[in-house]
Amino acid sequence: MKRRILQGLAAATAGALLLGACSSGGGDAAAAAETLDPDAPVTLTVSVWNLEGTPEFRALFDAYEAAHPNVTIEPVDILADDYPTKLTAMMAGGDTTDVLTMKSVMDYSKFATAGQLADVTDVVEGVPDLAGLDAYDQDGAYYAVPYRQDFWVTFYNKGIFDAVGEEYPSSDLTWDEYVDLAETITEKAAAAGVTPAEGSTTYGTHTHTWRSVVDAIAAAQTGGDQLGSEGYGFLEPYYEHALQLQDAGATLDYSTASTQKISYRTMFTTGQAAMLPMGTWFISALLQAEAAGETDVEWGIAPMPQEKATDEAVTFGAPTAFAVNKNAENVAAARDFAAFAAGEEGARAVAAIGVVPALQSDAITEAYFALEGMPTDEVSQAAFQPGEIVLEMPVGPTTAQVEQILTEEHQNIMTGAVPLDEALATMAERVENEVG
Amino acid sequence: MTTVVGPRTGTTAPVPAGTPAPDRRRAHAVRPWAKPLSYVLLTALSALLLVPFAWMVSSSLKTNDQVFTVPVQWVPRELHWENFVDIWTRVPMLTYLRNTTFLATVITVLQLFTGSFAAYGFSKIRFPGRDGLFLAYIATIAVPWQAYMIPQYILMQKAGLVNTFTALILLQAFSAFGVFLMRQYYMSVPDELVEAARIDGLSEFGIYRRIMLPLSVPALASLGLLTFVNTWNDFMGPFIYLTSNDLWTVQLGLRQFVGQFDAEYAMIMTGSVLSVLPILVVFLLGQRYFIQGIATSGLKG
Amino acid sequence: MATTTAARPAPAPRRPTYVNRRQVRRNTLLGWTFILPNFAGFALLTLVPVVATFGLAFTRWNAFGTPEFTGLTNLQRLVGDENFRVALGNTVYYTVGHVPLTMAASLGLALALNRKIRGLAFFRTAAFFPYITSIVAVAVVWNMLYNPTRGPINQLLTTIGISDPPGWTSDPTWAMPAVILTGVWKDMGYYMILFLAGLQTIPPELYEAAKTDGANAWQRFRNVTLPCLRPTTFFVLIMLTIGSFKVFDLIVVMTNGGPGRSTLVLSQLIYREGIVNGQFGYSSAVALALFVLVLVITLLQYARNQRLEK
Repeated sequence: MKRRILQGLAAATAGALLLGACSSGGGDAAAAAETLDPDAPVTLTVSVWNLEGTPEFRALFDAYEAAHPNVTIEPVDILADDYPTKLTAMMAGGDTTDVLTMKSVMDYSKFATAGQLADVTDVVEGVPDLAGLDAYDQDGAYYAVPYRQDFWVTFYNKGIFDAVGEEYPSSDLTWDEYVDLAETITEKAAAAGVTPAEGSTTYGTHTHTWRSVVDAIAAAQTGGDQLGSEGYGFLEPYYEHALQLQDAGATLDYSTASTQKISYRTMFTTGQAAMLPMGTWFISALLQAEAAGETDVEWGIAPMPQEKATDEAVTFGAPTAFAVNKNAENVAAARDFAAFAAGEEGARAVAAIGVVPALQSDAITEAYFALEGMPTDEVSQAAFQPGEIVLEMPVGPTTAQVEQILTEEHQNIMTGAVPLDEALATMAERVENEVG
Repeated sequence: MTTVVGPRTGTTAPVPAGTPAPDRRRAHAVRPWAKPLSYVLLTALSALLLVPFAWMVSSSLKTNDQVFTVPVQWVPRELHWENFVDIWTRVPMLTYLRNTTFLATVITVLQLFTGSFAAYGFSKIRFPGRDGLFLAYIATIAVPWQAYMIPQYILMQKAGLVNTFTALILLQAFSAFGVFLMRQYYMSVPDELVEAARIDGLSEFGIYRRIMLPLSVPALASLGLLTFVNTWNDFMGPFIYLTSNDLWTVQLGLRQFVGQFDAEYAMIMTGSVLSVLPILVVFLLGQRYFIQGIATSGLKG
Repeated sequence: MATTTAARPAPAPRRPTYVNRRQVRRNTLLGWTFILPNFAGFALLTLVPVVATFGLAFTRWNAFGTPEFTGLTNLQRLVGDENFRVALGNTVYYTVGHVPLTMAASLGLALALNRKIRGLAFFRTAAFFPYITSIVAVAVVWNMLYNPTRGPINQLLTTIGISDPPGWTSDPTWAMPAVILTGVWKDMGYYMILFLAGLQTIPPELYEAAKTDGANAWQRFRNVTLPCLRPTTFFVLIMLTIGSFKVFDLIVVMTNGGPGRSTLVLSQLIYREGIVNGQFGYSSAVALALFVLVLVITLLQYARNQRLEK
């Protein structure tokens, strides 16, 4: 009896929610049938985050509109911080925005498995050499086209290296060497009185507070599974390095960095950190800051440190992609835009502002290094072409839950609240017991 | 300062042990040091309360790279007043201020009216099911918005109200909070007063308008003040419901300075300082109604 | 004062007489007329989604498509969920600490600032400022004060001879007390406003009478202020309790639930399970549990208040 009442209530609610959610279904069949009339005026809506602060969108839109005079792109500007929240609400309400930018692979997976995105497998097949494509593979079908692929490198401040008389990082730096180097620079800078400003310290490196800084690089270089299928022992040496740097005072401690919301950008551009492992998006940020006269830091990039010296550096990264809304009003134009953004012309447009495109070709790499302010030395070139880029976090139905657990234990380890081996054991235990 | 916190002994008038302190002279005797002391304490407390605001002001005069530093730099090395000029051109700040003012005003007025009106029904008219209904009102406050945000959005989308001010106004003008606040206030107005008015032939609406409203000025002031501030500073509601940039509020507009990987905190703090100013004016106007006797004076006249 | 002198109308008898029934019908109509403008908006835009959410607690739903009825599965999962247990414990911890402290601090502020003193507007504004200061600024400055090694709080503690001061927001044991303290600091001005409004309802004649009877300040507070303030106190108590159970923003910017899970609260869990993990059925079940808990506490407080008012 009670069950029946509950069932009735649930069904009523479901009915109410459904009315709006699924009323408009453009569907893939319609997409295939619709052809693109090159002259008919189209207003294409594209969801983006932080339009003013993310110049790649404007660059892509301008390039596309120049090539397709009949199309007007209308960006749906959403704040960067809560982009997934708003997108979820919009999709739940049956929104008809044509193109949806997938900020993270995890969001993509959520929307794709829920059937909210149109199949774009044929678009993907039309663009060769797309990096990071594997992340979007859903049982052989693709529901988004990557146009950008960020990966991690080590940034370094040439001025500090020169001041303390150390050589710039080589292209085959190991983790042990990296830790030593950071400690040496910290000591030498303190001894020589090299400080960016009164009262502040020059650290050898800056370990940012994100979990990926330790976990994702460990998984990439050891082949460990962050979803925990074989425990988390593979993280141990990487956490040991991170803790050693912190204990030696060669990086700003985690507690301070996280509670004071310390910006890695500030640490690097104001000369408070000689090195900084960070994603390639920081390149475009640095180039822009230089162009605007906000910083005059002399910088270079080197590959991420490795377990053993190698020419084929392994790093991690994450792509960004455009998807076509299942309920899109202009399906054909939306698909055409996604193809354009991922292709040669789109890649040129984003590379021109220092963003790393997903499309890989020598011509584009060359154009990229020709940018004003870009370091052109061999090590920087090597860093830009790593041997392998592993996806930051494997995508599956349990990813979000595992991510949360790893983040919590990361805090416990880095604040020193829980000893490393205990925290790693807890990680494995919690993933085993709580995720499902 | 710790010496003066102890029990109030040593007054001039000898008080027999065991009797409650009866005389006024004692109170007078205490005054000479009590008043300066309370000023010292209040000033110290105020300083403690204003520290983060001081940090906001200090940050608003820095460049982005100087905001988060270890150790904190309270006085910027150089003052970047241009932040307060730049922000008007970096983002359409004037539009945001206008939108926020409009929303906050309309919502506050509606909330004051519907809240006090409903509160009269909940406190001065007896009918079956009243208290149950009232509890249902309060109970819904206990459900966090994060839980029913999506169902509510679907409802709004169906009604075609997404990306309009109407959505936000409807959402925030009928809150249970206002009804509860006003109802509690009306509870302290004697029922005899209402009964007497009824016997005098005043209608219920007449009682509400002529007696309850004038009596509840402090409550209306506090409700108006708090509603205004909450609406002004709300982020999630406008974020979910307002998509077009020209409809955005200040809180939304300022978050544009938060990028995917980084944020321009100097600009955010500049905007936040600007955004506090209108609230300050509203507060200074509103707090004048918290004056002894303002409510009860109506009873005599 | 209603609370002390009013002879309340007798409760409606079980079987009303003919006249009474007419009276009841008239009153019902009148009552609803007053309530309706607010209730219509409230019912449609808050009550409906809230009830829908409770319905969703018995389904599996990813925000798209049809919710699938799963019976009591979500509630069963709730019982065994370690995260729920931790978040519930933390939420209760926060509430137990936050409610009495904020209550005392805000009432104290209201009493101190209900007199005619010079600079009253300034002091009231200062007291209200924490509530309108950007929450990011609040989090950054308090975290700076709490910093285990560089923060002034611990430097002070070390100076007065405490060799091993707590790590505050970087320490799982001390993170919650630290957040509570900041919460009290931030909220007391808000509730002060409510108390200030309530204090204006107390007729000055009562104080005069009490003074004539020889009551001292404490006695006047006990016997005049507190009883007359009861409707406001009740309101503040309920709102404060509910607000504490729903705490979200402050935790997110101060600690984001960390270190580990030491400050994870229920609202955060609801947000994570729903918006982040896409399990809206389960997140609704957590919301339902929170609702029932707060409802029981509110009813207890309500019953106690009714008893006191009689």
